[in-house]
Amino acid sequence: MEHEVKRLEEDLQKDIEKASDASDIEALRIKYLGRKSPLAELFSQIPSLSTEEKKIWGKNLNILKQKITTLIDEKLSGFEGKEEEIDLTFPSRPVERGSRHVISVVLQKICDIFAHLGFVVIEGPEIEDEWHNFTALNFPSDHPSRDAFDTFYLDLKEGKKGKQLLRCHTSPSQIRVMQKNKPPFAVISPGRVYRPDEVDATHSFMFHQVEGFAVGQDSNFAHLKGVLFYFARQFFSPDVSLRFRPHFFPFTEPSAEVDISCIICGQGKNKKKTTRCSVCKGKGWLEVLGCGMIHPNVLEACGIDSKKYQGFAFGMGIERMAMLKYGVSDIRLFCENDVKFLEQFNL
Amino acid sequence: MRFSLNFVKELLPLDVSAQELASRLTMAGMEVEFLARAGKDWVFDVEVTTNRYDWLSVVGITREIAACLHKKANIKYPKVVKRPILKERKVIIEDLKDCPLYIGRQIEDLKVKNSPAWLRERVFHCGIATINNVVDITNYCMLKWGNPLHAFDADKLEGNIYIRRAKKGEIFIGIDERERKLCRENLVIADDKKVIALAGVMGAKNSEVSENTKNVFLEAAIFSPLTVRRSRRAAGIDTESSYRFERKVHPDYLEYASVESSRLMQELGGGRFTGYAEAGKKPIIKSKKLTVDLKRFADYLGEEISSTQIKKILTNLDFEILKSQKDKISVLPSRFRFDFEDEVDVYEEIVRIYGYDRIAPCIPFLVPRDESSFSVSEPGFLYRFKNELRTFMASLGLREIITYSIEADQELANLGQKDFILLLNPLRAQENAMRTSLLLGMIKSIRNNLNRNQKDLRFFEIANIYSHQKESFIEKPVLAIGLSGQANTLFCLKGLVEEIFKYLNIEGMDLRPEPQAHLSNALGIYINSEKAGLLGKLDEKTKKDFDLKQDLLFAQLQVGVLKEKRKEIAYRSYSLYPAVSRDISIALRRDKKFAKIRAAVERKAGEFLVDMRIVDEYRGKDISSDYHAFTLRVFYQSKDRTLTSSEVDALHTGIREDLHTQEGIILR
Ligand SMILES: [Zn+2]
Repeated sequence: MEHEVKRLEEDLQKDIEKASDASDIEALRIKYLGRKSPLAELFSQIPSLSTEEKKIWGKNLNILKQKITTLIDEKLSGFEGKEEEIDLTFPSRPVERGSRHVISVVLQKICDIFAHLGFVVIEGPEIEDEWHNFTALNFPSDHPSRDAFDTFYLDLKEGKKGKQLLRCHTSPSQIRVMQKNKPPFAVISPGRVYRPDEVDATHSFMFHQVEGFAVGQDSNFAHLKGVLFYFARQFFSPDVSLRFRPHFFPFTEPSAEVDISCIICGQGKNKKKTTRCSVCKGKGWLEVLGCGMIHPNVLEACGIDSKKYQGFAFGMGIERMAMLKYGVSDIRLFCENDVKFLEQFNL
Repeated sequence: MRFSLNFVKELLPLDVSAQELASRLTMAGMEVEFLARAGKDWVFDVEVTTNRYDWLSVVGITREIAACLHKKANIKYPKVVKRPILKERKVIIEDLKDCPLYIGRQIEDLKVKNSPAWLRERVFHCGIATINNVVDITNYCMLKWGNPLHAFDADKLEGNIYIRRAKKGEIFIGIDERERKLCRENLVIADDKKVIALAGVMGAKNSEVSENTKNVFLEAAIFSPLTVRRSRRAAGIDTESSYRFERKVHPDYLEYASVESSRLMQELGGGRFTGYAEAGKKPIIKSKKLTVDLKRFADYLGEEISSTQIKKILTNLDFEILKSQKDKISVLPSRFRFDFEDEVDVYEEIVRIYGYDRIAPCIPFLVPRDESSFSVSEPGFLYRFKNELRTFMASLGLREIITYSIEADQELANLGQKDFILLLNPLRAQENAMRTSLLLGMIKSIRNNLNRNQKDLRFFEIANIYSHQKESFIEKPVLAIGLSGQANTLFCLKGLVEEIFKYLNIEGMDLRPEPQAHLSNALGIYINSEKAGLLGKLDEKTKKDFDLKQDLLFAQLQVGVLKEKRKEIAYRSYSLYPAVSRDISIALRRDKKFAKIRAAVERKAGEFLVDMRIVDEYRGKDISSDYHAFTLRVFYQSKDRTLTSSEVDALHTGIREDLHTQEGIILR
């Protein structure tokens, strides 16, 4: 037994010297301390020894075990401070990932902000009729927007609600919800809209809008302002300023256009004009959306008592919001789907 | 509308800077888009909203400026003289709907020459070129009162004046010297022999005032906005004059403009007013009495404006206060405004002068409502589901694209699409039909990128498709997937589709070979027996037609069906015991389907089968080209114990024996 212990110690010494990294050491740990190790073999011989020998060898073998453990641990701790050095100045491995389209991202961001305030998202159809797209929205029957120059009409059978067309704004979704539901409600309605506009850097025959509206017994102009301030600060930046300019839309009264202080030069907010800014053309303000109190004629057209209920509505173009937020200068990029463009955005 | 500060100062004394004025006007709704110094004058360019015809006149703008400065403008109106009656010609209106009123004044023996400096400056600063005193005077009065005027050389007119529709093919040569063929849409002014003006749009060359003109016939009229709009569109011209007629003109202003022009022609041209002609009837503009309920107004705004302030604002805007009580004020709007129908119209008028910015914003507490409490037409609530799918598709490494819903009918037809809805009035021929599949947009997007040297493309789009259906139409959202590039095989595409079904926890997916136009290896995607979509590879011919440099793999799924079939996730317990795998090398004759092997494996491994995968494909001389050689790895596992080696061997041998007996399968 003595002889065996000695050999074991010699072997271990040699093996430890040869070990060149942590994994070699782990292998030694198994070899010398594992269930099938020579040490285990020696321990297994103990029951067959005399009582006296049992005592001596039991002690000796435990000392040996301790010694092996210490030697292995010492060797290992020598390696631990000394990790393999990797040259990380080499280029990384490219990571393939997917992406959402910037328009769908911006659209969702906008809807999410309003959803936090309690708005519910409901979509309406893109193929509409004259009644929902114009008449119910208080457009007079001879309004220029109804002309074939401003609206795409379709080869679908004309029904009781007039000719079929491609909606030129998301406002008819508002009509559809109001017709079928009892106030109070607050709804946000996004989607594609179409207009016969010549395509250039800021126009397209197809683009996206979001329409929002709230109707209740006390929905008022101050609420409209509150909601839009909240939105603009969430969407653009917490320190953006807003201004409401009176405007005209057939379906709201009073109506307003909303400008934000230029996110590039900030001139509108600071009230001092120092630089010419190409984004706001030196005005300091950027028009972002249209809004107003829903015209009583619109409520009545949907069967809502305008003496009892009032509401506000607002609408904005998604492409324009995306262009302002991310500094995209040409609307045509959105539908070209160049990977170099797509990969720049993510939710 | 462009106007100058000095012009306004003729009508209203001002002691405010141009910049300050511009900012006040903008915040009252007359947006100043451009402000520039012009000598000692300032030029303003303002946006005129469609409801404010009166902002197309310096008089109307002056009234607005006064109200913004908390003053009332005191406009002097000229006295209207209608005598003597013009004897040498009559004015005859064919249809009063096209032209309710036409008046003419004849001024004789005048001298056409340059205008005095002040007049030239007025007209020029408002953006109109100066021509001669007669034309400058008509333009000056148009700018001041809003309605266009036209001066004819009276000696070139033959007989009476007619306001009538053009005959088809009638020729008109305008003062721009361009020749146009007219149609019934065009309203013209004619004499006994010829067309002398395209009514409300442009005068004709043949009766234009020149330096030799001595006698002038001065036209002022009301033309129907709709008639003028259609006429100028038919003729393809847009003029300062048509712009104004389309937004209506006021019969009183029209008379003032005519009288003042006639007076100026006498003063500045030395002529005499010799006769007045009139046809039609002057429309009576009656203001509607409106009552502002002060409580309702405050509720509407969320802010109270005092009764005194309200009355001051309205008075400055030329309203008449009829009655003022504790809780309501009755008013009569200005006779020069057409845009007051309802009480809310007066609200806007008050609050825009009061200042939108003075109303404190307040975030409302919106009563929370569950989606399910809304009654909405079919696809209304797909929004969230579509967004969830978008995010999931992106997580699979695909890029979202957006392509046009409108394409060329020919291109759609070439791709085998039918029943598409056509646009009746397309802007361009290449966008005249609504797509019935997202395939074309996908092909074009892939092509754009291939042409820019992008090679590995994985795209998806979620958008609506549209088609005729019997008397009606369908509009529904679909999810399209397009893959191109070496790493993307049909098995990747199939895997993506399966992954979507797994994600949505939809069971009963079934892929059935089903021919599709322009796709090879096409499969119909079914859920139980309901069609949910399709997938396949763009066929070689179409690939060539579109000049695609690589294969395109395409799948399209119906979003509505996916939403409907989606099932809530229910946790399933799983085995904690190790899975064991065994490989089989197989050569499958190409006229046989892998489905046979799958069935045998399922049959023999039964409940212990957890998965099977192809781990290796083999091509070599020892394998006939009639065979497809591969290694199949089968995974076995038990739910409640560790399978012993011999158990697995038994199962595996069972499979081998089963396969061995089948025709067309060689075990290697
Ligand atoms: Zn700026």
